[in-house]
Amino acid sequence: MLEDKLLVLKCRHGSKDAMCRIYQKYKDYLLTLAKGLLGEQAEAEDVVHDVFVSFARSARHFQLTGILRNYLATCVCNLARDKIRSKMRRTKAPGLVNSTISDENDPKQRLMEKEELTQLRLAIRQIPYEQREAVLLHLKTGMRFRQIAKLQGVSVSTIHGRYRYGLDKLRSMLNSEAEK
Amino acid sequence: MRPAEDIKKLIKNLNDTTSAQMDERVLEDALHALEESEKTTSASIEPNRWRIIMKSPITKLAVAAVVIIACLIGISFWRTSGSGIALADVLARVEKVKAVRSKFYIKISGDPNYPWSLDNPRSFEIRETFLTSQEYGSISTITEYGEHDPNVGESTLRESYFLPQKKLTIVIEPNQKRYTRYDDSQVDWHENQKFRRDPLAFLKEIADHKHKSLGRSTIDGNEVEVFQSTDPNYFGRGGYKNRQVDAKIWVDVKTRLPVRYDQRITAQRVYDGKWSNQQYLYYDFQWDVPVDAAKFEPVIPDGYKIADNFPELANEETAIQGLKQCVELLGNYPERIALSYLWSEVEKSDTPAALRLKEEIKGLTGFDRDQKKMDALKPMRFLNKFYLGPASKDSAYYGETVTPKDADKVLMRWKVSDNEYRVIYGDLHAETVTPEKLAELEKALPK
Repeated sequence: MLEDKLLVLKCRHGSKDAMCRIYQKYKDYLLTLAKGLLGEQAEAEDVVHDVFVSFARSARHFQLTGILRNYLATCVCNLARDKIRSKMRRTKAPGLVNSTISDENDPKQRLMEKEELTQLRLAIRQIPYEQREAVLLHLKTGMRFRQIAKLQGVSVSTIHGRYRYGLDKLRSMLNSEAEK
Repeated sequence: MRPAEDIKKLIKNLNDTTSAQMDERVLEDALHALEESEKTTSASIEPNRWRIIMKSPITKLAVAAVVIIACLIGISFWRTSGSGIALADVLARVEKVKAVRSKFYIKISGDPNYPWSLDNPRSFEIRETFLTSQEYGSISTITEYGEHDPNVGESTLRESYFLPQKKLTIVIEPNQKRYTRYDDSQVDWHENQKFRRDPLAFLKEIADHKHKSLGRSTIDGNEVEVFQSTDPNYFGRGGYKNRQVDAKIWVDVKTRLPVRYDQRITAQRVYDGKWSNQQYLYYDFQWDVPVDAAKFEPVIPDGYKIADNFPELANEETAIQGLKQCVELLGNYPERIALSYLWSEVEKSDTPAALRLKEEIKGLTGFDRDQKKMDALKPMRFLNKFYLGPASKDSAYYGETVTPKDADKVLMRWKVSDNEYRVIYGDLHAETVTPEKLAELEKALPK
C-alpha cells in the first residue's frame, strides 16, 4: 500500500521508473482479470493497454484515495463493460483471415493454455456478465462485496447473490470434471 | 460434486502473463502518454480561467450559439464534401441494394520471419469474389491465394458460405477435399462484416472517418467522384505507430454507387519497429444483381471429409473411440476424464501403446512434443469435449469401479430427454434407458 502511494507520487512528478514499476507489478493480474471478463486475449490486452495509457495520461493529477490495485481493477471492469456493451460478444466468423489468425485448431493457440483451464474459462464466459464480474473481482482480486457493489451500483446483498449464483453455475458446469 | 472451494481455488489460480510484445507496446504508449501529460500540464490551468468566464449566463449563451453554428457548418461540409455527392447518401443507397457482386484483391507485405497473421504478415496476395445478399448471406470464393515466399509457393481455393438465417458458416476447401461447418449462433452478423471482408464494411469505414473529395475523373468512360481518407485511425487497431493511410473510393456520379475502393496502409509495429504494407482493393462492383436462393445452399461434393472441428466431432461415437484409447493406453478406464489427469496417467502408464507413444515423443521438446502428444491423444480429447459438452446434462462417469469386462455395468451416462438417459456400458456398447432402469443399473454398481 505504502509502496503504491510512493509510486503514484513519483508518477505525479513524471517518473518513468515508477510507471514501469506499477505496470510490472499489476500487469499480469489485470490481464487475468480482463481475460476472465472478456474471454479474448486480444481484447483483454487492449483493455490493459488502454487502462495504463489512460492512467499515465492522468498520472500528474491522480489522487490515490484507496488501493491502487482495486482502482486499476475497477478501470479494467469499466472498459471491459464498455466493450461488452458496444460489441456484445465479438465472436469471429471463420473466413480465411479469421481461421488463420485464431483458428481453434491452430496448434500454437491450443498449446497456449492447458485444456482444463480452458474449460474453466469457457464456463466463466457462459455465466452472466454481472455474475462473472462479481466472482472474478471477489476471488481473483480480493475485492470486498461492498466495493464490488459500489462499482456495479447495486446493493451488497445483490452482489452476494450474483457471486453465489455465479459460483453455483460454474460448479455445475465443471461438476463433471470432479466426478470423473 | 466438486466442492465450491475447488472452483474458488481454480479461479484464484487463473494466471495470464503478458507477452514481451505486449509489455513493450503498453510501456511505450504509457510512457509516451506520461511525457505528453507533462507538456500539457501548464494547459491544465486553462479550464479554471474558462470556468470563470463561463460563469456569465450571457457568455454561455453566446458560446452555445457559436457551437451550434459551427456544428451546422461542419455537418453541411460533411454531408456534401463540397462536391454534390455525400458519402452518407452513397452508403444509404448501398444499404438498399439487395445483392452485390464484387471482386477483391488483398496484398500484404511484411516480415517473412514472423508467423503469419494480419499483425505479423508475410508477403501474400489473395484474389477473391464476393456475392453479398441482404436476404441470404454472402459467399466468398478465393480464386487465387499465393504466398510470395519462393520456398513456400502455394495456391488454393476456398469457398465460404456465411448464412445468417441458418446461423451457420460452411467453408469448402476443394484442394483438401474437405469442408468445415461453424456454428454462428453466437455471431453478430453486422459486427462480423470486417472479418468476412464484406465490401460494405469498407464503405462504412470511409464514411465514418474524416474524408474529403478529390474531385472528378473517369473510370471505364463513366464520370466518378473520388473521396479520400488519410485519417491515421482508419481501420486501425492498437500496436501500430506511424500509420500512413490512403483510402480512396470512386463513386459513379450518375448511379451514386461505388465502382472501386482502394485502401493502402503502411504502419510500423510498436514492439519491434517492423513495417507492414497492406492493400485492399474492391473492384468490378455489380450492384443489384439477381440472386437465386439455391445458390446459398452449399453443395458438398461426394467424397469430401469434414475437417476436425472439435465441437462438431465430439459425439457419442468419437467419445467411445476415446474410451477405447483410454483402455489401450492405460490398461483400464481412467478414474476421471479431465485432460490434465489423462495426460499425467499416460506419462505413468507402461502399456505397450503408452510405451510406443512415449518412444515417439522421446527426443522431442517443447512445442513439437506437445503437438505430437495432442495429435496422438485426439480421441481422448473428443471424449473430454463430449462429456463436457453434448453429454453434460445430468451426466456421471464411473471409470473408478467399472472395467472393460463389465458388459452390464454403467460406465457413463447422460440425460437425453425427460424420460430417457443414454448409457455407455463397460464393454462400450450403448443404449437408451428410462430413469427407472438407470436407477436399477446404478444401484448395482460396486461401492
